Amino acid sequence: MLELMTSVLCGSIIISGFLAIRLSSTMAAMVSGGLAGLFAALCYLLLGAPDVAMTEASIGSGLSTLIFLYALRRTTGAEN
Amino acid sequence: MAEHLVIVAAILILLGVLFGVLRLVLGRTVVDRVIAVDMLTVVSISLIALYAHVADRFIYLDVALVYGVLSFLAVLAVARFLERGL
Repeated sequence: MLELMTSVLCGSIIISGFLAIRLSSTMAAMVSGGLAGLFAALCYLLLGAPDVAMTEASIGSGLSTLIFLYALRRTTGAEN
Repeated sequence: MAEHLVIVAAILILLGVLFGVLRLVLGRTVVDRVIAVDMLTVVSISLIALYAHVADRFIYLDVALVYGVLSFLAVLAVARFLERGL
């Protein structure tokens, strides 16, 4: 069961990363990139590293999405 | 009985992950994808809690706590950005 769960999560990381590359909307691509970090944190936890999982969840999924949002707002504001 | 319940919960969580990723792939608008990410966050928190029970290591519940707070903040920021810009 653990192997099946880890396999599903690793497949979800691949799908999320592919979507982050291929989606045309910047917002959706950013959300997909944050989701890849979220699934990576789950994989770290299932493989037995809870501290790495906590750091990945806070930095990779939370903080980087906020920084991307801030950068998107600044750059699109400069255009208009 | 208890281990059957654990297996049923694991199957439900797997189905939740599969359908959430399906909505993320098929989603037409950005809002669909944001809602799918929010649902996947909730499913992930339940997966962490289930694994903390199965592995009998309750330090994992702290990870679920941090996870819940930060992903809630991220989804909140995205929703506010979609509405009227950060």
